[in-house]
Amino acid sequence: MNRTSRFLSTVAGASWLACACLTAPAARAGLADAAPAAQTTPAPAMTPAPMTQVPATTPAPATPAAPPAQSSAAPPSTPPAAGDAAAPPSGATGDSGDFKTLDQEVQSMKKDVIDLNKDLFVLEEELLFPANTQVAVYVSMDVGTFFALDSVTVKIDNKQVKNYLYTAREADALLKGGVQQIYLGNLKVGKHELVAFFTGKGPVERDYRRGATINFDKGVGAKYLELKISDKVAKHQPEFLIKDWE
Amino acid sequence: MRVIPATLVLLVCLAFGSASVCVADAPTMVGQEAPDFTLKALNGANLRLSEFRGQVVLVNFWARWANDTRREMPALNRINATYGRAGLVVLGISIDEDLRRAQDFADSMKVSYPVMFDTGAEIGRDYQLGRLPMTILVDRSGVVRYSHLGYKRGDDRLYLDHIRELLRE
Repeated sequence: MNRTSRFLSTVAGASWLACACLTAPAARAGLADAAPAAQTTPAPAMTPAPMTQVPATTPAPATPAAPPAQSSAAPPSTPPAAGDAAAPPSGATGDSGDFKTLDQEVQSMKKDVIDLNKDLFVLEEELLFPANTQVAVYVSMDVGTFFALDSVTVKIDNKQVKNYLYTAREADALLKGGVQQIYLGNLKVGKHELVAFFTGKGPVERDYRRGATINFDKGVGAKYLELKISDKVAKHQPEFLIKDWE
Repeated sequence: MRVIPATLVLLVCLAFGSASVCVADAPTMVGQEAPDFTLKALNGANLRLSEFRGQVVLVNFWARWANDTRREMPALNRINATYGRAGLVVLGISIDEDLRRAQDFADSMKVSYPVMFDTGAEIGRDYQLGRLPMTILVDRSGVVRYSHLGYKRGDDRLYLDHIRELLRE
């Protein structure tokens, strides 16, 4: 119940943020539209007041009714000259400042959306693969002088659960220390058998296919298994191990 | 007894009629993200569609027994030779069950682009194959933009128009 309410609140939060992200650029575009409109108003409106008010208030200055109001509100006598010199930079900095804060807001919202997405992913994984049944199998490779990986087939309890073909890029990534999650699934508590077949090119560019087996006990916690490919330098042969991470 | 042949003829007509409707209204993947796949090419390399993201990809599903394949392959060879340097990737996927004969066929057609084999027809299912050959154009962001069923004279010009458009994007 608690988890469901958390999930719903997270989804609601995500949709709100998505709306906010969508509307923020629109608001920005609106401001960008409003600025030239204010600049194109007739000459009497060269007072600092509307310039500084544009971003903060409603887009009233852009409406046709606005110019008379501006001309009446601002006395065209003494201060405007000094004000004109001082005001445009202040208005410009105000605009750019607003844009900056808007940008920051958008960036922080994007970050929030990414964080929420991550939370949703974790939550989904928790729901689909609960810890008491979860089994994850990883592939790693060390050195790889005597073996070029082509594919891995994983069988659990004599049932094929995964057959994965590796491209040159993926094999390179594994050689550089990458670890790949090849399988994530659910298993009942108890004894199980995992068999992995590795296909590729062995020493002297010869086709090579080897298998490795592990019998493991699935307890109440998540089970992590690692299919490890390494070189056995003494024998000039690759070695295939399955490691059970407790 | 005379009723049976007439019924048979009617049934056959209905079957062919519905088949042609199916072909005409065959669902296409246009506008959808291209389903990813990894297949082994003739040269032994494994190729994954998503690794060509950022390039325009032409995926051609073919079978040795499909008549139009023989006419389409030279055109695809020419397209690959001309636009390969401009960022176009041409991939041929055979759905033949007889791998050896499909391989021989590709060799005899002197195919210059990577040819792969979807022997389990799983990728064909993902792409909702209607008729063979079927040519799909995937844009730089991995979305299916054009889908052509069959091949007739002049279709290569249509391909070229679409390819140029996608390459310009």
